[in-house]
Amino acid sequence: MTELLQQVVDGFGRGGIYALIALGIAVIFGVMHLVNFAHGELITVSAYAAYGLFVAGWDWWLIAPAIVLIAGLTSVAIEFVAFRWVRGAPDFTMLMTSFGVHFLVQAAFVMYVSANFRQFPRPGWIFQTWKVGGVSLEVFDLLVILFTLLTLGATYWVLQRTMFGMSLRAAAEDFDAARLMGIRSDRIIRGAFALSGLLAGVAAVFWLMRSGQAGPTAGLSPMLKGVLAALIGGLGSLTGAVMGGVILGLAEVLLISRLPEGLVGLTDGIVFLLIALLFVFRPQGLITVRRAERV
Amino acid sequence: MPRRMVDRLVLPLAGSLTTYLLLVGGGIIYTAVGNSASEGLVTQMLINAIVVLGIQIYIGNTGVLSFGHIGFGAIAGYAFAVCAIAPERKAVQIPDAPFGLAEVALTPFQSSLTAALIAVVVAFVIGLGLARSGARSGAVAATVITLALLFVVHEVARNWIDLTRGGKTGLSFSPLGGVTLQGRGWIYLALLLALLVARLFKETRYGRLAQAAREDDLAARSMGIHPALQQMIALLLSVFVVSIGATLRVFELGSINPRLFFFKYTLLTLTMLIVGGRNSVTGSLVGVVIISTGSELTRYLAGPSVDLPFLDWVLRSGLTDVFLGASMLGFMIFRPNGILGDWEPDHWLTRRAARKPGDQPPALRPVEDSRPEGFLHATGIVVDFGGFRALDGASLTASSNEVVGLIGPNGAGKTTLLNAITSLVTSSAGSIRLDEHVLDGLPSHLIARAGIVRTFQNLRLFPALSVEENIEVARLATAGHIAGRSLPDVELLVRASGLAELRHRRAGELDYGNARRLELARAAAAGPRFLLLDEPTSGMGDLESEQMIHRIREIAGLVQAGVVVVDHDLNFITGICDRVYVLDQGKVIAVGTPDEVSQDPVVQAAYLGGPIGSST
Repeated sequence: MTELLQQVVDGFGRGGIYALIALGIAVIFGVMHLVNFAHGELITVSAYAAYGLFVAGWDWWLIAPAIVLIAGLTSVAIEFVAFRWVRGAPDFTMLMTSFGVHFLVQAAFVMYVSANFRQFPRPGWIFQTWKVGGVSLEVFDLLVILFTLLTLGATYWVLQRTMFGMSLRAAAEDFDAARLMGIRSDRIIRGAFALSGLLAGVAAVFWLMRSGQAGPTAGLSPMLKGVLAALIGGLGSLTGAVMGGVILGLAEVLLISRLPEGLVGLTDGIVFLLIALLFVFRPQGLITVRRAERV
Repeated sequence: MPRRMVDRLVLPLAGSLTTYLLLVGGGIIYTAVGNSASEGLVTQMLINAIVVLGIQIYIGNTGVLSFGHIGFGAIAGYAFAVCAIAPERKAVQIPDAPFGLAEVALTPFQSSLTAALIAVVVAFVIGLGLARSGARSGAVAATVITLALLFVVHEVARNWIDLTRGGKTGLSFSPLGGVTLQGRGWIYLALLLALLVARLFKETRYGRLAQAAREDDLAARSMGIHPALQQMIALLLSVFVVSIGATLRVFELGSINPRLFFFKYTLLTLTMLIVGGRNSVTGSLVGVVIISTGSELTRYLAGPSVDLPFLDWVLRSGLTDVFLGASMLGFMIFRPNGILGDWEPDHWLTRRAARKPGDQPPALRPVEDSRPEGFLHATGIVVDFGGFRALDGASLTASSNEVVGLIGPNGAGKTTLLNAITSLVTSSAGSIRLDEHVLDGLPSHLIARAGIVRTFQNLRLFPALSVEENIEVARLATAGHIAGRSLPDVELLVRASGLAELRHRRAGELDYGNARRLELARAAAAGPRFLLLDEPTSGMGDLESEQMIHRIREIAGLVQAGVVVVDHDLNFITGICDRVYVLDQGKVIAVGTPDEVSQDPVVQAAYLGGPIGSST
């Protein structure tokens, strides 16, 4: 029982990070129907930024906000350089464009930094545990959960209470109608990328505190998790994306603890396989928000 | 020789052989004049060409973005290595191989075929999954499933040490490494076959129906195409070709490890495919040549033999991958259909050989129809969208000898009724019958095959296909599925719709009026009992819409179909309809001849905004 409780907390900790990444992917999907396979590059960039700032002698307390900012700016920059040109293009073109960005950023880091991973120190407190009545909880997990909730709360406030948020939700609901109502698509899309970049930045802080390394492929795993979580949540749905992230995190933790010894190395593969099976039977995701296509 | 056979078989064969000779000839010349490294480069390029042609068969025809093909390649590559490596070598590398595979000794040729068959069997299972997930052009679920395949195969290859020897060392044919494949004979043969399979598949019924679904999945379904079968055939053929290429790659290198068929190779082959033009077989070969050359060039420039200090920041190792990523991104942004689009060399010849103006036009005579007058009944249809009831028990009956109009204010449920009949929306109550057949719950493509074919308010042609091909594909889709009648001649429909001059034009390039006429002709080509037309005159001027009256009458008469037409233009409706149904708020409020209906006070109140309104 206590073991299960620990796992659930651990699952929420992981799931929180996935939820932030997935939410960013869902926000972008909402405004331009793009499934952004280049979303992980924000975390790659953050990882190198963290490494660079460490070398420059910064402390985690300063690095964390810097990373969030850098991820937000990078997201806007990527939109400006690449995605701006394929707005409204067929799905195939947009998918391929995001993979193009993914490969290009990765290759650029290999070329200008190195193919090898660079290590940086992780904050000392992340392995500390906190005993509550026989259950030992990782402080880190609790912190992730807390910050995820705060970030989601802030995002919710932005979406519900600001003019930008309302426009964004309107655009996600029906882009053409939103445009006719006078919502400036340019601003909304740029804003959506900024928001999704900031969310990825918060996720990156925690991801990097745990991994403590920067490399050209650092963003691959978080990107896949985020895309999968967003898909589980039914893509366009913002609530769905958050729930998808949590479901994925819990599923992973519970799966790892139950896998036989010899298969633990295959965890990622098995998770991926299960999700592929999910899409075979429910291509619209677990949480359905599918709208009929207009004809 | 019939023109169709020339167009679809002889010219594509001639074109492909020309391309083949150019590619192979170019390779031989470059090998002869180049240095010692050039031989290996050309060999690699030819093998990559086979793999890319294989991927083209699937992605090009179906539009589904697959990241899994290199995963299939990995399966084939390992299967090949395990079968073909000599038992005494296996005793050293994988003595504990399961299923007694350590003792198996097959010739390379046998191994290659075995490997390809194993990959095809896996592809069949994956294909079922893709079909279940509703794979269509740009579908994300399909991309994720194929991406999962790539990852899972990679993980298995790294972890199943007994079979694959794991990720560090991999399997090799000889302890010294080096070239195992003597000469290029097998590569030449495989390349020729791959090219012919890819090029001819594009012209087959399956290929063409798959392309139609790639262009517009929903329209294809409404024409009677169910893309799953075509996609499956494309996938199996495609995986077979990719697998043969993969086994050649392994044999040429003399070894295999998990990294050989993973992200890097996926990036390389996909870039080759899209740079040349994924919808064109010739294009994919052009892409192979350009990207191979470009990669080599960047590798050379970034290498030690070039020393340009002021370009130091570009010319460094890793440039090749940047080049690949930038090519992929750049082409997607500036030229998403690649250099050639969907052009093939034989298209040029086809257009030259096209019908001369002197040809006698065929007489316009109706198709033979042995069936008696037919009836379409929609009874008590209810459709809800969330909390909004779009149709509230609407009923409609039409005979195959009449033109029935459907009018009503915006939001009355006219299009929804057509959607409900053609199964594009699900109705929660009501029944649809064609003669004595109950069509309730059938998917769109079966409704179309049963004889109800529609057009769309917002025009859904197959934009990359030519005018003629749009019509042909609709005819192909129902051919073999309808009994008791012959299908209309394509040539006849091209002429009847007034598109003879534009027959080779892409549908996506037509102006509004011509596009509407083409959509009408395409629907008629499926040989329907009933044509359902959704606003066929929207966006047309008065003159054009009056001509449309004759056009619709003529074409419906040709295929002897009844017509149900939704429109806002009252002159048009009065001019064409025998009877009119008036819908308001999801209910039929009046039925009758156009005159009767326009006199009806209920209609005037609902539709014209009160009895005073005599103007439209």
